[in-house]
Amino acid sequence: MNSLKVISFFSLALLIIPVLLLLFEGFGPLRNPIGYSTVVGRSIVLSLFSSALAAGICVVLFTPLAYYFARNRNQIGETLADIPAVIPHPIVGVALLVLASPLTPFGRFLESVHLGLFDTIQGLVVALTIVSAPIYVKSIQPFFQSMSKSYENFALGLGASRFKTFVSVVVPNSGRSILSASLISMSRALSEFGSIAIVAYYVLQSPFYGVSPASVLIFQYYSYYGLSAAVSASAVMILVSIALMVALRFVNR
Amino acid sequence: MIEARVKKKFEAFQLDANISGEKFICLTGGNGAGKTTLLSIIAGTIAPDEGEIKLNSKIITNFPIEKRNVVLVTPESCIPHLDVETHLIWGAKIKKLEIKKENVERVKSQLKIHFGGKVSSLSLGMRGRVALATALICRPELILVDEAFSHLDDREDFIRSYRELAVEAGIDVIFATQNPEEAEFADYHYNMVGGKAISQEKG
Repeated sequence: MNSLKVISFFSLALLIIPVLLLLFEGFGPLRNPIGYSTVVGRSIVLSLFSSALAAGICVVLFTPLAYYFARNRNQIGETLADIPAVIPHPIVGVALLVLASPLTPFGRFLESVHLGLFDTIQGLVVALTIVSAPIYVKSIQPFFQSMSKSYENFALGLGASRFKTFVSVVVPNSGRSILSASLISMSRALSEFGSIAIVAYYVLQSPFYGVSPASVLIFQYYSYYGLSAAVSASAVMILVSIALMVALRFVNR
Repeated sequence: MIEARVKKKFEAFQLDANISGEKFICLTGGNGAGKTTLLSIIAGTIAPDEGEIKLNSKIITNFPIEKRNVVLVTPESCIPHLDVETHLIWGAKIKKLEIKKENVERVKSQLKIHFGGKVSSLSLGMRGRVALATALICRPELILVDEAFSHLDDREDFIRSYRELAVEAGIDVIFATQNPEEAEFADYHYNMVGGKAISQEKG
């Protein structure tokens, strides 16, 4: 076996051993019924739902941006788009609370239409969208860069506007890549903790009244019930994440 | 009538071309002679450093691609997810032209488009036929053909039919080829060498 292979397997092992250990302990020696309760189930459903919604919003709002960056290199714009990914995520949470507070006209408007962000599903989804959008843009942009311009130039030559070309030529021929990038951003959203622990520690809206997102719930379990409850709930969450990664592999095949 | 007098400097190559003509114009030349660059400048996908492009006495040098009324067809030009029938009238629909079924049928039969299906599933030659026909049906003022004739099995017949349809519709065509024999179908012939276009006697 060559040394590159040995190093590669070693680094891979570093990544997965803690996860495998948690799976083993969570369903084995450290199993704790609290970890398999309906509370955990509802919390995972909330996380999946809000992450999928955030990924959907990323597709609608950020596919045009990624395409624009791919076709018009814009160092300043690209750096700005990276900011939510590089700052500590609790800062995103705090920023959203300030934005939605009565301190700003936008916050006053949100309050007047009862669309506050604190402890709401919309707050959760907005936070997840902001932290996963940079990942979405980074995932889809290289695809657009590598896509031949011949299709677009042909459509433009036939008289289509830039927007029409994007919607009717670029997007329909990028379906798989868009789906793949949206699953990557969804898995990023699913793993988010920092911003949502501040914006939506729990949601106070039906049908998720009193439910916390999965990552927050695991943190709560660790704080209140100790390691074993957290480990069992984590093991369940890991299975869900693995299912998402398998789906991603399937799409990328 | 198309007149292009353009200059473009690249690191290893300089284009300094001056061409004019109407109906069917042929650009010949070897690899790196500047054919594709010249066509791209006329199509608007590359901006020239200096010079002017005049199409039917309208200066289009600074027009964006979609406003030029010029279609560039390369071997890769197509809209892959469309089926053949939708593809053929795509440009005409965008321009809100009146689409006469008999015209489309005539183009299809002259250019031997006797097949259907999704464009992405077609061979390179079939795709080329569809793209060239699509360009004709949307009636631009100028069609630029960059090697898109070269994948066709009945090249000579095809070029002859294409010329007939284009001239009839009042569309000028510039086609680039590495095969000097194809210049026989043209009304104007320029041979490109090292970025310069040299007018060739027709006769």
